[in-house]
Amino acid sequence: MRSAGDSHRGKVRRTNEDSLIVEPRMGLYAVLDGMGGANAGDVASQLARDTIRDFVMHRQHTLAPAALLEAAIVAGSTAVFTEAQNKTDRHGMGTTVVACLVVDPAHIVVCHVGDSRAYLLREGRLQAVTRDHTIVAELVERGLLTSEEAERHPYKNVLSRNLGAKAEARVDTVMLEVKPGDRLLLCSDGLYGFASAEAIQYLLGSGDDPKDVARDLIELALRGGGGDNVSTIVIETAPAAPSSSQVVRTSGARTWWQHRRHFLDAASEGGLADNPIVSGLPPHEALELVALSLCQAIYHDLEKSTGVNVWTFAQNLASGWFQRGGEWEAIRGLVDILAASAHAVVAEIRGADPALGFLIDVAVSRALIVVELALGGLLAERLRQVDADLVELYTIELDTTMHDATSSGSHDAMVIAEPSASDASREPAARDSAGTITALTSRESLATIDAPALRESMSTFTSLTAPEAAATIAELDASDSDAGTTTAMERISFDDPEPDREPPPSEPVAARDARPTPPPPPPRAMPPPVPARAAPPPVPARVGARNLSADAAAHAASGGGLRPLVRTADTERVERFSELSIERATIPFLRPDRPVTNAGEPAEVLSAIAQVMILARGRISPRARLLEQVLAALDNVASDSAGNFAAAVLAARELYGVRSVDNVGVMPLFDALDQARILVAASVHQLRAPQLLRVRVLRALSTAHQRLVGATTGLVLEAVAPFSDRLRESQGLTGELRDAVAKAERRRAHLERRFATIVDSSLPWGTRGTTEW
Amino acid sequence: MSNVHLTRAVQVLRDEVLDTVALGDRDPPGAEVFEALIRALSVGGDSVPGLDLTLHDAVARRLAWGDSEESVLADAELIFDRLMTSVDRAFREPADQMIVIEAATQVAVTVSRVVALAAVARAGRDRAARMREDMSQGQLKDVLEKQKVAIQRLEHELKEDFQ
Repeated sequence: MRSAGDSHRGKVRRTNEDSLIVEPRMGLYAVLDGMGGANAGDVASQLARDTIRDFVMHRQHTLAPAALLEAAIVAGSTAVFTEAQNKTDRHGMGTTVVACLVVDPAHIVVCHVGDSRAYLLREGRLQAVTRDHTIVAELVERGLLTSEEAERHPYKNVLSRNLGAKAEARVDTVMLEVKPGDRLLLCSDGLYGFASAEAIQYLLGSGDDPKDVARDLIELALRGGGGDNVSTIVIETAPAAPSSSQVVRTSGARTWWQHRRHFLDAASEGGLADNPIVSGLPPHEALELVALSLCQAIYHDLEKSTGVNVWTFAQNLASGWFQRGGEWEAIRGLVDILAASAHAVVAEIRGADPALGFLIDVAVSRALIVVELALGGLLAERLRQVDADLVELYTIELDTTMHDATSSGSHDAMVIAEPSASDASREPAARDSAGTITALTSRESLATIDAPALRESMSTFTSLTAPEAAATIAELDASDSDAGTTTAMERISFDDPEPDREPPPSEPVAARDARPTPPPPPPRAMPPPVPARAAPPPVPARVGARNLSADAAAHAASGGGLRPLVRTADTERVERFSELSIERATIPFLRPDRPVTNAGEPAEVLSAIAQVMILARGRISPRARLLEQVLAALDNVASDSAGNFAAAVLAARELYGVRSVDNVGVMPLFDALDQARILVAASVHQLRAPQLLRVRVLRALSTAHQRLVGATTGLVLEAVAPFSDRLRESQGLTGELRDAVAKAERRRAHLERRFATIVDSSLPWGTRGTTEW
Repeated sequence: MSNVHLTRAVQVLRDEVLDTVALGDRDPPGAEVFEALIRALSVGGDSVPGLDLTLHDAVARRLAWGDSEESVLADAELIFDRLMTSVDRAFREPADQMIVIEAATQVAVTVSRVVALAAVARAGRDRAARMREDMSQGQLKDVLEKQKVAIQRLEHELKEDFQ
């Protein structure tokens, strides 16, 4: 246990009548506040102090702790009383006392007489251990005064008990069960009379050394007026062993940050400056911009046990790069370099301090996983985009084909249409005047082709790399040729199958010639396995899909749009297909209906949210600070990429602050939340953006709003919980008292009956009620 | 979509949002939130007369039946989340989606405020009840003291009589 005490005469009194006992060896601590004029107060407190200390010192092995301390205080009272009786100038002197004796690390006995107090700080909450022995307090206890009336009562400082008024003193004793980390404060009325309970709680819970706390508390009372002698003793039980998260948040984060230079060096050696993402930047600037930012993000995340900073870093980096048209490999390479640098730093820390290194290793690995999750989310989004592009492209192809087939019924294309009566008599014919082979030879084959089958086939290709796709097409072509049937894949064609064919009139020859000729697909011995894929969702109207579809549509409109059905593994066709759709690695298991991570909101939504917030802030008065705070909190929650509740709870806690638990304290907050809701909704309508985007923004903000008000209400519920607890305690005490009264009543009735029987039997006429004459 | 049609369209989602298949259709948890949403949609506008009162009654009824404020709040949150999912699926028009989302947010804020005020009111009642308890304890202590005195007197007198 650590302990310290301090005392000051204050700003008004000329002498200090307080006395202290701080005896860590005996485990004895006491604050005594003397009273009585003409230097008698200090005499009383010092006499009582010496008597109590000597008593405990000499009898500590003969009495139980509680009895020992009580007896010591009574002895102190006797000594003061005797002294006051012997010397007339010291008549009427007395002292209060609050003393404690440490029984063992888990138990402390607290005894007190008068209005010196003991407080216990546990888990940040200050609790009074003692109850003042004043006349007013006793009147309140009996229900004759309310607490409010007691505060204004003229005799609120008049003691009902003290040491020295009588030879003996009635001592109140409390046995405290203390927990690791608890702090006990003994103080005179010079502290709590001039400092608020909140301020005392704040200083006591500051975590500073007890010596500093004792001094700071006195400073606090002096700043509050210092109208009386003020004494404090702070006793701190052995602190609880810090949890691993506390270690990471404190020394772990600090150690990580101290190793930042090593992190930068490792990143530099790993070739970070050569990465395309930072090309054009001087090496030191590249290091600071990327590596130091990640290092800082990890530091803040370790410090707060979150992953928000790292997530934001990875999202910003990757989305910015992708928006510039960057390749995935660059991001992958950069993240690999940073991860290797982080592991190098962790290895160094582990070498110096294995225990701390292990904790940091876990925390940093977690941060790196968050980076991967953020990248995975972006990648998933891009793959969905590719998928949607493919489906839209196919739809346009299909529409074009059908249109041409129905309008001309001629030339070089496949026809996919519902079979009609006339089809029955139509002869199978090879059309395609330009030499392209068409495969539609029977009505049956037409009937078997449907859109879902084609979509499924298309989806299959999204999961393949370009060479695989080429080989698969060739494989399918070959197998279909053998079988002599037509499958859905046969109807997929994306470009002119014949390089030597004349270009359509609308297409300039130069443009055609300028088109690069892609290399042929690599030979493949065996076809790759085609994973079974669910049908993709209906074609979404995606903004990003327009470029590809517009390309195809323009091509169709230009007259060359009839993309002939081919049955051969045409090189250019395959490469065109690859060029359009499969130009990057794909991950088959990332589907829209199976998100592997909560990727938060995409950048466009976040950007729109920021705009909405600007609009909303522009509508409020500068003096409406609470509303501004609500909007800021809403912004934080809505922009939280992690999508968890932690941001809402943190924001709500900051918003809630210190409020009284009544309508005056709570109502303005909810009014502000409601006003913010209306403001935000109006601002979303004002936003210049596509309506679909506005819906997404509104949904994100509404969800954030719901989380924020929910968390705020949770805080209100947390604040009111102690009222119920205290009521239950009080009801329990009342019940015990009722039982005691009932028991005493039974006892009294029993004694009265006995007494009456004796009285009756002693009378000459015998038993009462049976008088005999 | 007109207000009437929109309200009907949302009402269709009742079973889905309240999960009545699992919980039964007789006042499943969070039903009051859904009813409030319907009311908000049918009346429309930023300020819905009676919404506070309706929700206050509904929440008070649930609290009176022994549900905690936390459970009311959790149900409201669950309903809100389910509604967001259902709206995304069920409404094709963005404008309709926005109307329903705005109404749902309004109901969510109102439910939270009602629950918070109910909790504050409970705290006030608890505070007053505790003061009454303290007064009762004072009176009981007085009675106990008097009884002790009477018992001591009786014991003393009985002892003297025996002697």
